Amino acid sequence: MATVTNWIDHLSASEVAGQVYPYVGTEWLWLTIAIVFWIWWHISTGTGETEEQAKLGRKKHGPNDYKKNIPDW
Amino acid sequence: MDNELTALTTIFTEFYYWMTVVLMFLIHVGFCMYEVGASRYKHHQHTLMKNTMLIPLVTITWFFFGWWIYWAFPTGPGLAPSIMTENSNLILGGGFGANDLANATNPLMAINLGDHIMGVFWAAFLLFSWTAASIVSGAVIERITTFAFGILAIAIGSVFWSIDAAWGWHFDGWMLKILGYHDAYASGVIHAICGGFALGVLAVLGPRIGKFSSSGEPRNIGPRNPWLVCIGLFLIYTGFWGFYAACNIPIFDLGPEYGMEGVTYFTATNIYVTPTTLSGITMNFLLSLAGGLLAGYWISKGDPFWTYSGGLAGIIAASAGNDLYHPLQSLIIAAIGTVCAYKLHYWVERKYKIDDAVGAVAVHGYAGVVGLVICGFVLWGYPSSGYGVGSMWVGTDYAPINPLGMIIGAIIMFGVLGFLPGWILAKILHGAGKLRIPRDVELAGLDYNIMEAASKDEKTVASSSR
Repeated sequence: MATVTNWIDHLSASEVAGQVYPYVGTEWLWLTIAIVFWIWWHISTGTGETEEQAKLGRKKHGPNDYKKNIPDW
Repeated sequence: MDNELTALTTIFTEFYYWMTVVLMFLIHVGFCMYEVGASRYKHHQHTLMKNTMLIPLVTITWFFFGWWIYWAFPTGPGLAPSIMTENSNLILGGGFGANDLANATNPLMAINLGDHIMGVFWAAFLLFSWTAASIVSGAVIERITTFAFGILAIAIGSVFWSIDAAWGWHFDGWMLKILGYHDAYASGVIHAICGGFALGVLAVLGPRIGKFSSSGEPRNIGPRNPWLVCIGLFLIYTGFWGFYAACNIPIFDLGPEYGMEGVTYFTATNIYVTPTTLSGITMNFLLSLAGGLLAGYWISKGDPFWTYSGGLAGIIAASAGNDLYHPLQSLIIAAIGTVCAYKLHYWVERKYKIDDAVGAVAVHGYAGVVGLVICGFVLWGYPSSGYGVGSMWVGTDYAPINPLGMIIGAIIMFGVLGFLPGWILAKILHGAGKLRIPRDVELAGLDYNIMEAASKDEKTVASSSR
């Protein structure tokens, strides 16, 4: 739902409302979603990193093995 | 805004801070180049991603709670009463409280037609937060997990530096009142704390494989690309201009602010709302850069890495008092800070087997501490605030700047809010097996899989005929 539907009415009001973003009053909802997303991101990427490194570690590459993989595009 | 002069002042201030944010972005570009240049080929891409990902992590947590901490904690809590609320509880209301200004659900934390400053001021502080985390990032390259670094970046970038800024970098901070702490351009509140935090993490993380011989002699590793390192440091210098500007309020009438009847006095001020000039601090910035470069070149016998780092260490050492120093004082202080940082780096490396890959603990931590201590002597007797002058330890008024207060302040920044939290958090992450990458991955290179895939792609493309 639009917070502002007519700029002339909005700016000529006796007290101009500062908040113009949509869904004023639902900030807690957006904050909760953002925090859940943030925590999920850490868990997901942290787990992925551990798995990937465990897999790479098992291959026991030597310290100079990467040199055969240097591409020469 | 109902008249042109108010509108002009407001929009000028808004644009001023906005420009500082753009300039300060170069600090992060510089840190990324610097870090990648210092890392070895087989770790490049992960090194870059580690430093890059602190941008979103610190940004969202600075929005969630970092900015709120800055406005809530100036009293300690419980250490000195606020001049606004007149008690020493957390400052949550009263017009300038954390819940009035900086709660993530607050009307000011969004586009608001009634406010032109909060967003850009929030962003300027956020860029300081990125810098805080980025300082730590360089020290720990090639062996820390990205997960662990993300947690540590949030801790230093959105919690501990925010607490120290509330204590010692806020017009109502308890450290000004009780200790006479003064740190105009953040020798301590950014640099010393981050150097200390990095040292705490490094003490637990340990050195890179091969850094020390079996007899304990340190070996030099890299930098692989000195040119990238040097350009990175040049960009950090450039961004530092924005940092200096962002530490000021560009135009402010101190007459009514200080309660001086009938006095109008427009000036730029530092973060403590005491007067300075952008013109004067520009001279001090350049002379401290010059002092650091001269000392860095001399002490390292012309080594580019330490000459450039010396320029940075010089600015950092002089920053605590660069709002008031004479330019030649800035020059000398910068040179002293740089020499101390260089000597301490190698002494700590040999004595405690600390592998600080980019010299971050030295350039930021030691130079910052030296700068704070020197500031206490050189500015001894100056008021720490324009809102009043009192005595040390009392807390109801503002103590003058003094050596003991600055030494205690340096210990709080480097040790209490820097080293200790870094060491404890690293211990927890180490205990959970999440701090350091596996030994075989460190040997193979963090980028091994990416490079292997790229090599396969190249062979496939090269053998294609259409």
